[in-house]
Amino acid sequence: MAGIEASEVFGKVLAEGRTVLSLDEARSVLESIGIKFNAYGFAGNLEEAIQLSRKIGYPVAMKIVSPDIIHKTEVGGVKLYLQSELDIVHAYEQMMENVRKLMPNARVLGVSVEEMLRGTELVIGVTRDEQFGPMLMFGLGGIWVEIYKDVSFRIIPLERVDAWEMIHEIKGIEIIEGARGFEPVNKKKVVDYIMKVSSFVEKHQEIEEMDINPLMGIRGDLYAIDARIILRGREEQK
Amino acid sequence: MDENIRYMFHPRSIAIIGASNKLWKVGHAVIANVLYGDCLRRDRHLGYKGKIYPVNPNEDVIFNLPAYPSILAIPDEVDLAVIAVPARAVPGVIEECGKKGVKAAIIISAGFGETGEEGRRVEEAMVKTARGYGMRILGPNCLGIYSLYEDLNTTFARAMPARGPISFISQSGAFCASVIQYSLEEHFGFSNFVSIGNKSDIDDADIIEYYATDENTKCVAMYIEALKNARKFLKVAREVCKKMPIVALKSGRTEIGRNAAKSHTGSIAGNDIAYEAMFRQTGIYRARTMSELFDAARALAYQPPPSLDGGIAIVTNSGGPGVVATDAASDLGLPLAKLSEQTINELNRVCPPEWSHRNPVDILGDASPDRYAESIRVLLEAKEVSGLIVITAPQAMTDPETLAKRIVEAARGTHKPVIASFVGMISSPAENYVETQGIPEMSFPEDAVFGMHALVHRARILRREEIWQE
Repeated sequence: MAGIEASEVFGKVLAEGRTVLSLDEARSVLESIGIKFNAYGFAGNLEEAIQLSRKIGYPVAMKIVSPDIIHKTEVGGVKLYLQSELDIVHAYEQMMENVRKLMPNARVLGVSVEEMLRGTELVIGVTRDEQFGPMLMFGLGGIWVEIYKDVSFRIIPLERVDAWEMIHEIKGIEIIEGARGFEPVNKKKVVDYIMKVSSFVEKHQEIEEMDINPLMGIRGDLYAIDARIILRGREEQK
Repeated sequence: MDENIRYMFHPRSIAIIGASNKLWKVGHAVIANVLYGDCLRRDRHLGYKGKIYPVNPNEDVIFNLPAYPSILAIPDEVDLAVIAVPARAVPGVIEECGKKGVKAAIIISAGFGETGEEGRRVEEAMVKTARGYGMRILGPNCLGIYSLYEDLNTTFARAMPARGPISFISQSGAFCASVIQYSLEEHFGFSNFVSIGNKSDIDDADIIEYYATDENTKCVAMYIEALKNARKFLKVAREVCKKMPIVALKSGRTEIGRNAAKSHTGSIAGNDIAYEAMFRQTGIYRARTMSELFDAARALAYQPPPSLDGGIAIVTNSGGPGVVATDAASDLGLPLAKLSEQTINELNRVCPPEWSHRNPVDILGDASPDRYAESIRVLLEAKEVSGLIVITAPQAMTDPETLAKRIVEAARGTHKPVIASFVGMISSPAENYVETQGIPEMSFPEDAVFGMHALVHRARILRREEIWQE
């Protein structure tokens, strides 16, 4: 069932001449293989945004939803750590005003509201090697991956021991294990996620690259916050 | 495992196509090597004992053997064909070999895939022909193979390695010749030795799969520039590593090194990140230099993996090399044993009071062969010691050969790995003796530590599932 759904999404994306999935598409595909995301929803107006935030629980992040706005931050279309109903009202009004000023012609559909989670930021990624095919990357995520590149690689498909070994290979293993006041990450769950991604990519050779970053380790569980899936163009798939 | 590959290493009969009486021809060196093992020694006892058929339409007799105009004229079955004729003649020869029912052909001739697109096409066509007949091809563009327990040398190199527990694969022919020279100096031996060439058909995975079934092989050593079928190799190597250690040197780790590799043997080196991942995934121990490759291979081939519970002990008659070894161990993350009170008490009985009282165990500059032997016994019996490195710096009061004998005696019967370093004594009789008794000896202490690290790595690989049990 899950496999069929992913294939449908990929087919639709390629048929539209795209190779990059939207966050919504990537989310639905990854959720179908059992990867959990932070709570998230769409609100068409302020009233809906308030109700949604209450349902998700504070703090939340709010982002503008518009087919015409790609760089949301630059038009003031991203607000983080909103703690209360009052914050939501201010943020919503400010956001709409910013967009009206900066991109008056943009079609605004509403806003997305998502749960803000604080935890240990991890990354699971996929890239391709010319000779070995798809490879899986694991490491400390978020800003850490950019600066420290504290990651390890394995060739897909992995066995569970590979997943355990690659987790223990990174320098930041002590952070994952809860050194210096960090909350320990549920490593077995990380292994589960790595194996899910490995078998998913093995099944879907149309995947060129993937990033689940950050993947938040929090309260013994894991939540993906952002994800990117890039497909190989039709010609690249043999 | 393809039985035809076994026949390549254990043929009942060999045809040498392009065999020649002319001294400067490759085909001359090849038949001389098949006959005599080492073409320079001219001793038939050292050579291959099966049936040998020279093939050359322009000669009647080669090395006192009747020569045949073509392989099809040989009135007998032929298991292995060694081909050393000009490139343009090779496809025809392959067709004939196939017709003859040859099991495997080694194409020494160069001038194929490594020269460009046209050569690659010819190569592919030959492989197709061979497959049609169920024949396997090694090469082209290779030095040949040694199957030491058959006294078989199909190469055109000028030396024969000793028999021993290491089986080697090299993507560089020249590397092979150098390694043989080095092995003769350092007294380690080989079961099999393959110069793999362009890998048109038989690839690295095929060879290691055979090595894993070879009763004489205890360790596989590889020199890789680029793998041909990387994913197949990953799968096969992972299985092989469950039975037998593999140590590999992969060149072209850096961008500059990789550009050089592109023009060599016609292959494109892969991304190092992927290779590193592959080594870790399969359990192959990665060497980064030529000396590391053979330090690790010797350790793995001659010594058992240690238990993972204890640590390594270092016994030395001088401070300097002991500290160098300790630093090297720390760099590699190799755990050193913390000596128990009982071990310290027992060492107190056999050493003067000035001994170091800790690991590294410095038993002082005047250490006699007896003091070495007794200290080695104490350390090998200590529960906290999982492996031992014996370091000796030469000094005037001790006869190195007596010392070597006592070290070997003291280490006999232990199930713990022992590696020696007679610092600076290269090719001395003491060093030679230790090595011929199965204790790898490294010229410098850090190399001995590296060898020990390879053994600890091996122990971890063997217990991988247990270590990560959930």
